[in-house]
Amino acid sequence: MRYGRKASARAAVKALRAFVDGNKWRQRKGRYVPLHYIHGITGVRGYDVIVVGAGPGGSTAALTAAEAGMKVLVLERSRYPAEKNAGGFALSSKAWRDFPFITGLELPSMRKGTQCVAHFLSPPPEMEERFCIASGPSGRMSYPEAREFFTVTMLRREFDRFLADKAEEAGAEVKFTSLVTGLAKDADNIAGVLLEGGDEYRAPVVIGADGVMSQTARLAGLRDKWRPDEVISACAVDYSASRERLDDVVHEANFQAYFGPGMGGNYLMCYADCVHIGGPGVTNSLISRVSRTRIKPARELLETIQAPPVQRLLRAVDAVPREFHVHCVPWKDSMSDDVCAGGLMLVGDAAGLPEPLWAEGVWQAMYSGRLAAQVAREAIGEDDVSAASLARYLDRLRESPVAREFVGGAQLRRLFEVLGDPRAAGEMTEMMVDLTVNMFMSGQEPKAQTVARAVPILMENLPVLMKLLGIYVPMIQEAGGELPPQLAALGGMGALFGAAGGEEPQR
Amino acid sequence: MSARKKAGEVDRFALSEVIPATRDFIRLDGERCTGCGDCAVVCPMDLWELRGEKAVLAGDYKEKCTECGSCFIACEEDAIDFSYPPGGTGVVFKFS
Ligand SMILES: Cc1cc2nc3c(=O)[nH]c(=O)nc-3n(C[C@H](O)[C@H](O)[C@H](O)COP(=O)(O)OP(=O)(O)OC[C@H]3O[C@@H](n4cnc5c(N)ncnc54)[C@H](O)[C@@H]3O)c2cc1C
Ligand code: SF4
Ligand code: SF4
Repeated sequence: MRYGRKASARAAVKALRAFVDGNKWRQRKGRYVPLHYIHGITGVRGYDVIVVGAGPGGSTAALTAAEAGMKVLVLERSRYPAEKNAGGFALSSKAWRDFPFITGLELPSMRKGTQCVAHFLSPPPEMEERFCIASGPSGRMSYPEAREFFTVTMLRREFDRFLADKAEEAGAEVKFTSLVTGLAKDADNIAGVLLEGGDEYRAPVVIGADGVMSQTARLAGLRDKWRPDEVISACAVDYSASRERLDDVVHEANFQAYFGPGMGGNYLMCYADCVHIGGPGVTNSLISRVSRTRIKPARELLETIQAPPVQRLLRAVDAVPREFHVHCVPWKDSMSDDVCAGGLMLVGDAAGLPEPLWAEGVWQAMYSGRLAAQVAREAIGEDDVSAASLARYLDRLRESPVAREFVGGAQLRRLFEVLGDPRAAGEMTEMMVDLTVNMFMSGQEPKAQTVARAVPILMENLPVLMKLLGIYVPMIQEAGGELPPQLAALGGMGALFGAAGGEEPQR
Repeated sequence: MSARKKAGEVDRFALSEVIPATRDFIRLDGERCTGCGDCAVVCPMDLWELRGEKAVLAGDYKEKCTECGSCFIACEEDAIDFSYPPGGTGVVFKFS
């Protein structure tokens, strides 16, 4: 039963609660005293864990907590899972390594990705294919799933629904159409949430899984918002498409990227019977960069979708545009510290966890959600949910594979800056064309003549090669990898060549 | 180059659905606004414009806004306050 049906009852409850809250006997140095009997009197419902947001982070946290026997409430502002989450997604094979419950998962929109394709286009207005790499998984990957496939693409509305249902089956209560607008506090700790309309729910631990614009982070005073250089404003277009055509034309090359001068890495994701094209590349949709270049991300995406190879592919699969998506994603080069407070832990995008290359964030949300639920369980068991106690969540996160994705983060971000930079991207594309054609592919001239060009090609492209070395060498060093001294020295010199040629287009 | 037609024109507005919010969820503090225009550049739905030296939010933003929050992040003067519309209202993505 929830309180607040009648104004008089509400006033009485408020008075009783004020009396209860005002009494210091309930707290001992920020420690939680179970309040079930008080909840019984006041009608304020008590839980062990309240999760704000039913995205992958929130539902995985709720599932883990419910399976551990805790009483869990999930509050989600939308009417159904993923109603507010744009863009569809590719789930990396890491998720099959780490979450046994998705083994064998089959969803109608799924398409397996045993190939990845990167297209490098000529500059606008032509935007024609100049170079293309298609690759299968590498045999050197450290776990079996990664040697078999890259990702599985699927629609969020199906995957988020699957996770929310799983949490519910495990015993969590999931309420939709419920916007959290406030946090309840007990002395030093957060002790519950308030919904718009006044309903209040209490729990010793709140897990903020409310995404990139996290209100829980804000209400807890952890941060107001991410900085403009930490957020990308990503747009995508959803197209319905023919399943048979997709099977023939793209098969299992479910993830394709389009690079080119002025086209910093649009992605094309193919599902069972639809296609998403998103962009305009991670760097070009970085909000601080948009402010500098004055190039509107939505317009840039819609212009680059017109690239002839993209249009040919869309026609080949009978694609018809169906929906326009926009959503922000945190894109940070290092992990944040501000992810917990007394009674509160932030997970997924609310904690800024998407990795610093492609801003992949679903596996990160799931991983952190599970960690937060495990810490909640321990802390509640120890009867201590203070900030000091929950700080172990940050420690666990720092020891986890989620943190390892941030090693070399600054360099990873610079890699995309190079790929998104019109001059550097053009030079790199032409270098790859020259090397491939002259060394392997051409029957146009005698082989000995073309192969001999490799050296001049490399010499001419020394600046761009040094730029790449300036990114990769520090990354390898940061990862603790062994490097021959000559290469390390070259990398140090490469760093002098700067990231992206310092050039930014103006329109 | 192929003379064939484009694979469907993308009309952002025709391709998005919004259940209008019953209250405001974006607020502008005109005192703080310096007229830099960053909100207008980043907004995917063109809902901000500069009039004189100040940003102005479209009167019908509740019918078009995608709740992306890009304007809120872009504004370094903290002139824009952004929250979410009431539960169950606002943008609807069916194929995300
Ligand atoms: C276009 C695009 C493409 C992407 N592609 C990929 C990809 O291919 N692979 C990948 O791994 N990641 C991808 N990402 C990133 C990924 O979407 C996020 O990292 C991921 O959704 C984070 O999950 P989360 O659970 O932390 O947050 P979210 O999925 O954002 O979930 C947060 C939930 O909280 C709810 N909520 C927010 N505020 C409140 C409130 N006050 N009260 C109640 N509920 C609230 C929201 O409605 C939402 O359901 C992509 C992102 C975009 C925008
Ligand atoms: S970004 Fe902020 S300061 Fe700049 S015009 Fe918009 S509201 Fe004004
Ligand atoms: S939230 Fe997004 S769509 Fe809405 S006004 Fe701001 S930038 Fe535009």
